[in-house]
Amino acid sequence: MPCYGIPQYTMFWNKDMETISSTDLEELQLRRLRRTVRHAQENVPFYTNRLKEAGVSADDIRTLDDLVKIPFTRKTDLQAGYPFGFFAVPMKQVVRIHTTSGTTGKPTVVGYTRQDLENWSELIARNMTMIGLTEDDIFQNAVNYGLFTGGLGFHYGAEKVGMTVIPSATGNTKRQIEMIDDFGVTALHCTPSYALHLAETAEEMGASLETLRIGIFGAEPWSANMRHELESKLGLKAFDSYGMSEMYGPGAAFECPEREGLHFWHDSYLIEIIDPATGERLPDGERGELVVTPLVKEAMPLLRYRTGDITMIIKDDCPCGRGRRIARLSGRSDDMLVIRGINVFPSQIEHVLLSRPEVGDQFMVYIDRVNHLDEMTIEVELNRDYFSGELQDLATVQKRVSGALRDILNLRTTVTLVEPGSLPRFSGKAKRVIDRRGEVF
Amino acid sequence: MPVEDLKKQQFRLLKTLVYRLYSFSPFYHDRMKAAGVHPDDINTLEDVRKLPFMYKRDLRDNYPDHIFTATQDELVRYHVSSGTTGKPTVVGYTRKDLDNWTTALARSLTACGLGRGDVIQVAYGYGLFTGGLGMHYGAERIGATVVPASVGNTERQIELMQDLHVTAIACTPSYLIHLGETAAKMGVSIKDDTSLRVGVLGAEPWSEEMRRRIQDELGIRAYDIYGTSELSGPMFTECSEQNGIHIWGDLALIEIVDPETGRVLGPNERGELTITILQKEAFPMIRYRTGDITVMYDGVCACGRTHPRIGRISGRVDDMLIIRGINVFPSQVEHTLMGIPEVGQHFQIVVDRKGSLDTMLVRVELSPEAFSDKISDIMSIRQKVGAILRSSLNISPGVELVEPGTLPRYEGKAKIVIDRRKI
Repeated sequence: MPCYGIPQYTMFWNKDMETISSTDLEELQLRRLRRTVRHAQENVPFYTNRLKEAGVSADDIRTLDDLVKIPFTRKTDLQAGYPFGFFAVPMKQVVRIHTTSGTTGKPTVVGYTRQDLENWSELIARNMTMIGLTEDDIFQNAVNYGLFTGGLGFHYGAEKVGMTVIPSATGNTKRQIEMIDDFGVTALHCTPSYALHLAETAEEMGASLETLRIGIFGAEPWSANMRHELESKLGLKAFDSYGMSEMYGPGAAFECPEREGLHFWHDSYLIEIIDPATGERLPDGERGELVVTPLVKEAMPLLRYRTGDITMIIKDDCPCGRGRRIARLSGRSDDMLVIRGINVFPSQIEHVLLSRPEVGDQFMVYIDRVNHLDEMTIEVELNRDYFSGELQDLATVQKRVSGALRDILNLRTTVTLVEPGSLPRFSGKAKRVIDRRGEVF
Repeated sequence: MPVEDLKKQQFRLLKTLVYRLYSFSPFYHDRMKAAGVHPDDINTLEDVRKLPFMYKRDLRDNYPDHIFTATQDELVRYHVSSGTTGKPTVVGYTRKDLDNWTTALARSLTACGLGRGDVIQVAYGYGLFTGGLGMHYGAERIGATVVPASVGNTERQIELMQDLHVTAIACTPSYLIHLGETAAKMGVSIKDDTSLRVGVLGAEPWSEEMRRRIQDELGIRAYDIYGTSELSGPMFTECSEQNGIHIWGDLALIEIVDPETGRVLGPNERGELTITILQKEAFPMIRYRTGDITVMYDGVCACGRTHPRIGRISGRVDDMLIIRGINVFPSQVEHTLMGIPEVGQHFQIVVDRKGSLDTMLVRVELSPEAFSDKISDIMSIRQKVGAILRSSLNISPGVELVEPGTLPRYEGKAKIVIDRRKI
């Protein structure tokens, strides 16, 4: 493989795959696509029926363009399959389960085989090597561990590279800063807004954070201005990360040192950009909704999954020698909110409020950014039957509702009770969410 | 493995370890020199007694990484646990260390009857605490389906248990009782409405009575697990006999010593558990005084495993408290309070169990300068003290501010902790 033209500074985890020629890549993608469609069709009843209805079968996929014959899969489909409806292998082969926010009360469940975990870690190892991280680096992973894929995903990838991983998880900002200085941490992973909070707290504490050189920021959108602020305050180079639990987790696409868009790993994902209204495929350079067909997933294959994220495929090649890039995200095609890195659907909030007799079903959501951290306030009407005139009642109802919201959203919110009938009623499309965070994208 | 062969292997590993540390670890080299012992003096397994003990304070004095015997590129993980004052205890791991830790747990979980086909909900904290990630790696090694539930959100934990057909849970025994009670309130019977059959419970002391209660009420088998982050993390459990925790002899050499004199005690004599980890690269441990009180059992277990067994941990030699699975040293509380000018040096810790969960209340005197009759002042000091304690202890204690001079003064040994829990 000719490697001239690729800048000297670029490091590769898996050079052959990362710089594969477009002919070889297309051949590999087609082979993997046919295998994935067959796997889904034979082992997931949802796809057996869906493909039958559409009059298409794995044998009809002869070129990559034949993909358009396959119907889309939406988040609501996954919701209907809760919990194991999309699993394509017996439970004995599933070694991990993660969950992610659903559109209503139940979460979306994703499963992994041992090979899936291996594939996922490989992609993260590629990303981290791409931005210059090696086994000499000390990596502080300051995102939520557990059911959220961000923590364990990067943890496994960093361990594969051989870095020293500090699984610091979230919270306790002062301790996080002490660890950076005491251990000489060189690379940090967290949400961009938490990073700003960290920078400010460090300044108050007089901590230098001088060993930090690389920041990986993801799970929520961030702007070019924010990149500038993060880099000057933390003294590091900031890289954007993209992914979602439905495609294993973070790491599906990542910025290289050029930082002009994110490289998708095309051996593992087939991507399309569509017009969210018509479903028509859009040409490179035009913005639309990202649709992803994972090519190597075993436990839970998905066909043409509508991510809801708005981006475009960048026309030009990247000097680093890797495959086609997508632009940084510029919005959502649905009403999903990202609050402190956690995805929230207004429909989830509605679902919770409907289940609480103490409050009505009209509500308003306000989102603000206070000290770089997102705060969500929910206004809801009190049901008079639950109010005896005692102030104590209000506190009790408030606590119950915010508790129920926390259980479903995995997020602390402020609940404000208002008079019955005082919230706006919408006759057309309800505008229940007021986002006052300013420029995010 | 026959006991004799196991002992031979332990001796070989010990000899190698001592040579390696004498040659490459300045800390152990100096320790052995000071104790007048040379690797050539270690000629039988019992000669381990010639080696000096290691204490928790040695870890603190060498913060963060002066005891480590691995280079940065060999280290793949740090875990951090509560220290006795100020700085936490840091443990480093090489790839081989993680592998040994995982192997120990894989054997243990297998001894609890778990394997491929089981769905294991890991409800220990993930992150810096070793419980979550340790159990996660062990469960993954045996081929079970791991649900990394971590802590909190009890109702969601119960839903996951039902919906994902969970067969085993790893958490603290008090949390499992709490889970059972919450399930009952939701109208869910763990016994009849879930597939749960095994609990691997630890990180805090519990009793046979609690085991009986958990087993009867939840319809599961409950196994005790032991480990501390200094050793790597949770490593050893009971087997299906539920008669002592098997300590894998090829990984660890244990002694029970008199906490006062350091004299090695015989089988069935209660004393302090002292551990030498035989195969550890990054953070070697020779004769580490765990502070945990237990006994070593005599004879081979009915399950056929020849590795030594210890009984339940029945207490501590020091004043360490375990609150919801988190270790708390009163000295750490004292150190933290000393750093806050608004409060005085007199304090009291009240530990209780409300329902099945531990509560901790720190009562502290306001300093005369900060004493005020404005409620808002007092509220804001209380909030500040609570936040600082939370950040240093990793748990949220209640805080009660009292007037200067109202807490008892002690002439002799201060009785700072009032523990009202019955276990």
